[in-house]
Amino acid sequence: MNIRLLAAVLAARLVGWVSRMSGRGGSSLPGLIARRVYPSVLRDLAAKLEWGAILLTGTNGKTTTAAMVRHIIETEGRPLLSNRAGANLILGLTATLVQAERWRIRPRADIALLETDEATMPRAGEEIQPRLIIVTNFFRDQLDRYGELTTTVRYVARGIESLGPGGVLVLNADDPQAAQLGYGRPDVLYFGLEGEAAKTAEAQGYDAMDARFCPRCGTELNYARRYYAHLGHYLCPDCGWRRPDPHIAVVRWSRKDHEMWVRIHGQVESFQWRLPGIYNLYNEAAAIAAGAAMGSRPTAIRESLATFRPAFGRMETLMAGDTRLWLALVKNPVGFNQVLSAVFEEAHEGGFSVMIVINDRYADGRDVSWLWDVDFEHWTEKLSPRRWYVSGLRARDMAVRLKYAGVPSDQVTVDENVNRILGKAMDQTGGETLYILPTYTAMLEVRQELTQLGLVRHFREG
Amino acid sequence: MAERRLNILHLYPENMNLYGDRGNVLALAQRARWREIPARIVTREVGQPVDWDAVDLVFMGGGEDTHQARIADDFLALGRELASRLQDGLPMLAICGAYQLLGRYYETADRTQLPGLNYLDVWTEAGDTRAIGDVVSYTDLPIEPRSLVGFENHGGRTFLGSRARPLGEVTLGQGNNGEDRSEGAVQDRVIATYLHGSLLPKNPHLADLLLMWALMNRGIDDRLEPLAADEEFGAHETILSRSRNS
Repeated sequence: MNIRLLAAVLAARLVGWVSRMSGRGGSSLPGLIARRVYPSVLRDLAAKLEWGAILLTGTNGKTTTAAMVRHIIETEGRPLLSNRAGANLILGLTATLVQAERWRIRPRADIALLETDEATMPRAGEEIQPRLIIVTNFFRDQLDRYGELTTTVRYVARGIESLGPGGVLVLNADDPQAAQLGYGRPDVLYFGLEGEAAKTAEAQGYDAMDARFCPRCGTELNYARRYYAHLGHYLCPDCGWRRPDPHIAVVRWSRKDHEMWVRIHGQVESFQWRLPGIYNLYNEAAAIAAGAAMGSRPTAIRESLATFRPAFGRMETLMAGDTRLWLALVKNPVGFNQVLSAVFEEAHEGGFSVMIVINDRYADGRDVSWLWDVDFEHWTEKLSPRRWYVSGLRARDMAVRLKYAGVPSDQVTVDENVNRILGKAMDQTGGETLYILPTYTAMLEVRQELTQLGLVRHFREG
Repeated sequence: MAERRLNILHLYPENMNLYGDRGNVLALAQRARWREIPARIVTREVGQPVDWDAVDLVFMGGGEDTHQARIADDFLALGRELASRLQDGLPMLAICGAYQLLGRYYETADRTQLPGLNYLDVWTEAGDTRAIGDVVSYTDLPIEPRSLVGFENHGGRTFLGSRARPLGEVTLGQGNNGEDRSEGAVQDRVIATYLHGSLLPKNPHLADLLLMWALMNRGIDDRLEPLAADEEFGAHETILSRSRNS
């Protein structure tokens, strides 16, 4: 046993224990301490995993996809460790591995499933030497943190360089930026959609097209089919680069029956599709592809996903008396448009209200400009909630956004105080549904308040 | 008297829309429509023609380096006509990358010097760090209040020559170059700035100045009816209060 590894792990656990005792959960401090004591701690622990590590990255859908993959692996009874959504930088990944056990030094788990921030991919890849990498998609997200989209893609590409022989890369075939990461590689498993796109993109109004250009030659891509934003069946008219044929293809789906049909290496199987929205088809397809990459049988994956429940704040439904609360995180234009589309799918059955909570702390993105790239003009015309509630540090900006999208001021309640407006909104929504759409730190506040009210007994960190 | 309507030309909305710049166009159009001035948004991408006589106001936003490179040649080709119209009083709002492109030259992050339109008397050098954060500035333009608020996110450092004057002086944030406290530039009826946010929705007084200039340019020299702006100035105040607390 390496003495420095031992010291690093024990010191980190002690710090983590003290931190939890003092009521500050979710700290990356244990990761920092462990790395100070022994810089190779993550490398050493990851090398001891019997099966190996999975890194899951991309702009949207990481948490939901990770939850599904975890569920698939756990249902098969394989010992697994995984990180919480907020702990996806190098310190968080380190903290996850050193704190995986209470008494043992090394994790007992065979597999580590690590949701990884895009910018952390080069370092995470180099230290962890993953066996499987999953890339969901690339959208513009928080430019104050990441810089440009091309920079983000480059980070992930560098992380992929660490994928060893025998490794598998799971990529979204419908996202040009994600798909090109697999160019010329033999070890790629692509997933994508092949069913009818319900409406043409034009009919969906202004759509944030973050990456409409060919990643190989820069020419504007042609789309035979477009599902949302820049996801679809594209072809470069200039260099001929096109969407690769997916190995895992969602060929048909029915919202009414909560069912999707997926072709896996030529065989079509039906799966339960519980989470609304096209983007959840992608999340589920990514999870199925990951399961297939790990050798799970399609029927086993199907049975496992039939009992899947979403992570907290990812379209989870809670009952508060007779009021239904529905929570979905919003963090960038494409994601917000998709969540509004899901609200539209869900909301036709009765009266409802919508509450939007916008914070601008570091983890939310400090620039709220992105609210102007969300197509509220389109969705406020289609959605008619009884009332809009807006809150958070930037409640005033959100109120302006709704005003310019044509929502009359007397239909909007504005209050920066989340707890106060949540109480009011729940009172006024009695017997109906309240859709709550918070940014990341706002979601933590909403969760804390719901926990205080005794509505959330236990939840998986989301 | 000319007809009371407005055509807003949005240049390169597909390539040059970095984080919410389109909010400025939405704000201009809505504030015109709320006053029953029909407003039409005309977009123009690379290679398309422009009917300059039908343009009352020009907007152009910022883009990622790769996107900016994609439109640069086309923009410079468009430039002679645009510059002469701007000199004649056509109003324009230019944000971030568009601000840099209107100047003499700009340096990219890898220190390549690229020519600008040479209309605005400004030039931009590459900075060592990015200026990122909330901004409050105070302007000499004839608007009330004098404060402007927004969010800056730029690597370039812009310096003003004698023909351009600063749009404002920062009390929060870096501004043009982090040295002289200036933010943005004004020349003729062109307002150029680094402020995203989006800028005009939470600075409705600046939006109205641009609309008034556009009407003047059309030969309608009347004042704009005031609009209730409680929400807009509420958002304005959110950032102002941060400069007081910092």
